[in-house]
Amino acid sequence: MGRHLSTFLLLLLFANSVFSWKKDEFRNCNQTPFCKRARTRKPGSCSLIASDVSISDGDLVAKLIAKQSSQDVSEDQQRPTKPLVLTISAYQDGVMRMKIDEDQSLSPRKKRFEVPDVIEPGFYIKKLWLQRLKEDKDGNGPISVVYLSEEYEAVIRHDPFEVFVRESGENGKKVLSLNSHGLFDFEQLREKEEGEEWGENFRSHTDKRPYGSQSISFDVSFYEADFVYGIPEHATSLALNPTRGPGIEFSEPYRLFNLDVFEYVHDSPFGLYGSIPFMISHGKSRGSSGFFWLNAAEMQIDVLGTGWNDENSSVLMLPSDQKRVDTLWMSEAGVVDAFFFVGPWPKDVVRQYTSVTGAPAMPQLFATAYHQCRWNYRDEEDVFNVDAKFDEHDIPYDVLWLDIEHTDGKKYFTWDRMLFPNPEEMQKKLAGKGRRMVTIVDPHIKRDDSYYIHKEASEKGYYVRDSTGKDFDGWCWPGSSSYLDMLNPEIRSWWAEKFSYENYVGSTPSLYIWNDMNEPSVFNGPEVTMPRDALHYGDAEHRELHNAYGYYFHMATANGLVKRSDGKDRPFVLSRAFFPGSQRYGAVWTGDNTADWDQLRVSVPMLLTLGLTGISFSGADVGGFFGNPDTELLVRWYQLGAYYPFFRAHAHHDTKRREPWLFGERNTEIIKESIRVRYMLLPYYYTLFRQANVSGVPVIRPLWMEFPSDEKTFSNDEAFMVGNSILVQGIFTERAKHVDVYLPGDELWYDMKTGAAYKGGVTHKLEALEESIPSFQRAGTIIPRKDRTRRSSTQMENDPYTLVIALNSSKAAEGELYVDDGKSFEFQQGAYIHLRFTFSNGKLTSTNMASATAGSRKFASRCTIERIIVVGLSPDPKTALVEPGNHKADVERGPLLLRGGPARSSVLTIRKPNVNIADDWTIAIL
Amino acid sequence: METRIRPNLMLFGCSIILLLYGFTRSAASLPPIDSLFGVSPEDASYYKGLSSASAIKCKDGSKKFNKSQFNDDFCDCPDGTDEPGTSACPNGKFYCKNAGHAPVVLYSSRVNDGICDCCDGSDEYDGKTICPNTCWEAGKVAREKLKKKIATYQEGVTIRRQEIEKAKLSISKEEAELQKLKEEEKILNGLVEKLKERKEQIEKAEEHERLQKEKEEKERKEAQATKDDDTKAEDTEPTPKDIHDDIGLVDQPPQDSAEDNHGSSSEPELGDHSIEDERSNDVAGEQDGSIQNTKHLGEDSTSHGKDGLDSGNQVRFKDPNDSDSLSNMFVSYRYDSSSSQRHESDDELDFSDITGTSSSSWLDKIQQRVKSIFQAVNIFQKPVNVSEAAQVRKEYDESSSKLSKIQSRISHLKQKLKEDFGPEKEFYSFYGKCFESKQNKYVYKVCPFKQATQEEGYSTTRLGSWEKFEESYRVMQFMNGDKCWNGPDRSLKVRLRCGLKNELTDVDEPSRCEYLAFLATPALCVEDKLKELQEKLESLNKDQPKGIHDEL
Repeated sequence: MGRHLSTFLLLLLFANSVFSWKKDEFRNCNQTPFCKRARTRKPGSCSLIASDVSISDGDLVAKLIAKQSSQDVSEDQQRPTKPLVLTISAYQDGVMRMKIDEDQSLSPRKKRFEVPDVIEPGFYIKKLWLQRLKEDKDGNGPISVVYLSEEYEAVIRHDPFEVFVRESGENGKKVLSLNSHGLFDFEQLREKEEGEEWGENFRSHTDKRPYGSQSISFDVSFYEADFVYGIPEHATSLALNPTRGPGIEFSEPYRLFNLDVFEYVHDSPFGLYGSIPFMISHGKSRGSSGFFWLNAAEMQIDVLGTGWNDENSSVLMLPSDQKRVDTLWMSEAGVVDAFFFVGPWPKDVVRQYTSVTGAPAMPQLFATAYHQCRWNYRDEEDVFNVDAKFDEHDIPYDVLWLDIEHTDGKKYFTWDRMLFPNPEEMQKKLAGKGRRMVTIVDPHIKRDDSYYIHKEASEKGYYVRDSTGKDFDGWCWPGSSSYLDMLNPEIRSWWAEKFSYENYVGSTPSLYIWNDMNEPSVFNGPEVTMPRDALHYGDAEHRELHNAYGYYFHMATANGLVKRSDGKDRPFVLSRAFFPGSQRYGAVWTGDNTADWDQLRVSVPMLLTLGLTGISFSGADVGGFFGNPDTELLVRWYQLGAYYPFFRAHAHHDTKRREPWLFGERNTEIIKESIRVRYMLLPYYYTLFRQANVSGVPVIRPLWMEFPSDEKTFSNDEAFMVGNSILVQGIFTERAKHVDVYLPGDELWYDMKTGAAYKGGVTHKLEALEESIPSFQRAGTIIPRKDRTRRSSTQMENDPYTLVIALNSSKAAEGELYVDDGKSFEFQQGAYIHLRFTFSNGKLTSTNMASATAGSRKFASRCTIERIIVVGLSPDPKTALVEPGNHKADVERGPLLLRGGPARSSVLTIRKPNVNIADDWTIAIL
Repeated sequence: METRIRPNLMLFGCSIILLLYGFTRSAASLPPIDSLFGVSPEDASYYKGLSSASAIKCKDGSKKFNKSQFNDDFCDCPDGTDEPGTSACPNGKFYCKNAGHAPVVLYSSRVNDGICDCCDGSDEYDGKTICPNTCWEAGKVAREKLKKKIATYQEGVTIRRQEIEKAKLSISKEEAELQKLKEEEKILNGLVEKLKERKEQIEKAEEHERLQKEKEEKERKEAQATKDDDTKAEDTEPTPKDIHDDIGLVDQPPQDSAEDNHGSSSEPELGDHSIEDERSNDVAGEQDGSIQNTKHLGEDSTSHGKDGLDSGNQVRFKDPNDSDSLSNMFVSYRYDSSSSQRHESDDELDFSDITGTSSSSWLDKIQQRVKSIFQAVNIFQKPVNVSEAAQVRKEYDESSSKLSKIQSRISHLKQKLKEDFGPEKEFYSFYGKCFESKQNKYVYKVCPFKQATQEEGYSTTRLGSWEKFEESYRVMQFMNGDKCWNGPDRSLKVRLRCGLKNELTDVDEPSRCEYLAFLATPALCVEDKLKELQEKLESLNKDQPKGIHDEL
């Protein structure tokens, strides 16, 4: 009896500890002194004024000094503060940069950390050389104004200091402002006073904080904004809910602190694996603006609800006629290095942001196809069996992944030779079918003297050091581990060499890399990560760069893959941790999610948010990492996941096998069809990846990005746009009978399965079908497809295209197709085809936008268009005339989709126009 | 047969090999003209009506197509009817003849994808990939393999047939035995009841007598202190208690040897011989008197050697009510080093002799004996005849232990006969057997109808209890094994395939704690499959291309 009782109690404990998020392991704002302090500051408590405002080296510079006559001497201001230096610079395309730091000429105790290697080198050449400072006055006193763009100017108010961007001209409307509420605070470094205790304890960990408090906080206001978005990574809604204000339940601020969170919950402002301190606002009347703070320390951000500051409103000089969203930004360390983006449209803001942090890398074609992963495909036989099963079921896939168990004792770059005796042969066998493999390489290095990486790294002193100066030793998968100091460019370069074919024994050109645990995850560290007082290159403290650690690791790995191919092969590296700029190095996924419906739902806002903040190439684990999804959930997840920019199924070690064919014939068919839809749309996706690569505009987008004036879309995060042409609505409930779909705009939408037309501007209640989730093509667009699905994307290379033209109310449509070799960097020298299709007046015209003189390289293709489908045209024409060549093509009725049983739809089809995609041509419908 | 797409060709994308396939065709990758290219022979008749003038229907009825639309690399029928020879239809099928080897039906997605799928190379005709014809070599290898497989099946089918015969015989014997035992149980039950009643009466009388005696003794002692010869004489008589003690041994079965069976080389435990041997002993030794006979009931053959009366008879007995020894009794293992299986000794057959032609003469005899006891013993006689009382007791003990043996045998048989041995009882011989396979540090043990385990050194993990056959008797399912930490209960599927010996191979854990193993067994060597294989071989031989054949 006693034994049974204790077993029962154990089970209870077990259930509590394993199946829920361990909230206590992580700090909340109240347990984080800088956050608690900043949150309790009163508006208007900043007493700094701008003085000595001038133009210097093309920048506006000023000193921020404490106001002499300040009457209310609060506690913080008892200590004499040195002046701070403020710099404002302007860049092309409406980007303002503002830096505030301690004055280096007054020899501060230490140079505060500025995050290196994040700003895109090309950004600096976009700087505008400011010449003229306009001194002015407004209702609240003197201001200094500089030029920002034709429509906007940057303004600094002197007393109290405030910085804002406004529309040009006197009384121009404010767009963005900083310190309008007087919450600015900058804790300067100083010497420790006697008896002072700077250390902080959390659970069993002590942070020595040898430099004391050095936090920064300030308020930022977004004008004409209805909502704010961005600042990933949180599992929460797309439009950020206020965290403070009247009528708002107590909430933590949105936390940005890269953490390995076990079984994260689906609706929380809590920080996850990556951090991007970039917020974008949107409102119906003006559009969008953006604010980015380049800072890698722990950050906490409050979104303040309307009326949060009613009691103080009289003392402030905020324009009351402008709608506004206020926010409070708090960081533990670093400097103010902030970027203001004027928009005015969502795509402008994203473009402006990626002009600073870099546009998303162009992935290889294979990487945009379907990935099959599991912790773990155990051995070579397992790999071959899974590979063969895909072929047996005629389900395409491109990449098979190997998780940590493939290594010899979690020593990355090694193989468990019992399980994988011939890794090269294995990769070659898959490569024979055009398939790739991915192995995992994490940043924790096993402290094992026989491990060459560890030996070299410890000899060269390449590890992050603990606060006493010894190599930091933490616990991760291999047991006792140390962590490479990826802040140091020399170490990154050394690391990159490890990926050469000679160094990475068992690797082949078809092997790519997965960076996991790079927050970094330290099982026995505070909050499962590295202590903040650990020391990096240049004696930077870990607290100052924590959020960028995974970014540098990702960067070094991606550079390694470029190096191993002599710069010929585009890298593919998936990372869990991320930071602004990660988009330049590869894909990101939303980490260890759980197999439940809520997590399926939250994957949409999470990925949309990543896209808004530059990380276009992102996905969530299809099926949910933890737990066993029931069949319906898995199927729904495949149906949605097929539209994720990064489409990978993954599963935890302890879960049941869930490869697509394991759930009965019917479900195998449905899953297969959803994967095939992705392959069919690969030409469209690849074109979108190129758009992102050029303009930063993400592959999947919130509806409001395409319909910025349609208020109904502003907080919709159940549906999303793939490019500008496809709207996808997820189904997030079990046994759903119906699904409500809001179709924005005033043009028609066409069901992508049946071709049925739906009105825009209306919420449609549709029958929820088992075999697919709703997807629609927007009238006025042209989508390129490849209807022949092969074993992998590799074999589709030479297959002909189908164009689907959905005409709008003016019987017109347009679209694009981007094609290159799918793998090399030659597209950067012009080796690509970028077609623009336009349909008007009954004629389809294709023109190559890749200018003939653009680059030294050419991309040739003999691929043709085998089928053109036109929806929204009546009456039926009989024939089509192809020019040049003056030959006729048959026009008939045919199915919209070739798969999915006997024709469910009958749409106008131009049969075999057989025009080449490399040529310019027209097809007139007669 | 690895073929890689040459990079220079890939650069040109959909490059053309028009030269190879005639100038008249407009697109690059059209199949050879004027044939039912890609159509399987069974399907050829469907295309009979196809001509440039008349159109035929898609198989799914969705549309019609004419000859110019047939294999023109444009999908008219979503089901692929019009494009058997191209990759145009995502749901199409491509037939390659593979002369010299077996024909294959491929997904259309394999046509002109740069990978050689058909050994005759017919799936790659756009000229970008050159596929050598490897059918003859591949066919030869396949035919050899097939021949070997057929040989295995042929032998396997015979073994299987014999096994089935044996199984059927055994089952009918066991059924008959069960029937018989049930009747015996009924009779014996009646006798035991009667004997019990009589025994109790005797014991009552004895007790009464004892008290009487004590009283008399006391009186006598009081009366006179001498004269104690009589009592001495009485003490030397064998008392009923002695016999009781002997019978008491019944409760201690020879467990030691049974447990040794887990070792690798223990002898078969012949526990089941006991009933049979004992009975013949009964019959043979009747004239020796029942006292000696019953004595042996409690004897371990190694512990007592005092009587030569039944030397040569190995008589053992185990308490049938002890569940441990029950399983030891019927599932005794003998390790056979020549194969990977452990199996129960064939003592079942000996046991079945109980119900043989000599039938239950022993029962008749018991009945007679009991009858004579009842006639002889007069319980009202005073003092109680000591030898007669002992005889009653002895008969009672013997009969009741026989009864419980019979009952346990009945329950065993019932349980066994309830099992699903397959449609032809081909799995009968699996009963009580275990199959073993050693993989790295683990020894996997699969005992059909019972359980499956994974042993590592001294620790044993249960992979599951017997559940049932699945997939038309091609899979044995074991469920509800030991629970995995943070995971499901362990389970095991054993996939059966034809082989000449029962042999367990390839234990695997495809999903965490879900195991999969393969068992080769003659039970799966079915005639239909053999015929199928033979037909396949025949057709392979028939299709051998003459030219190539002669060449070789």
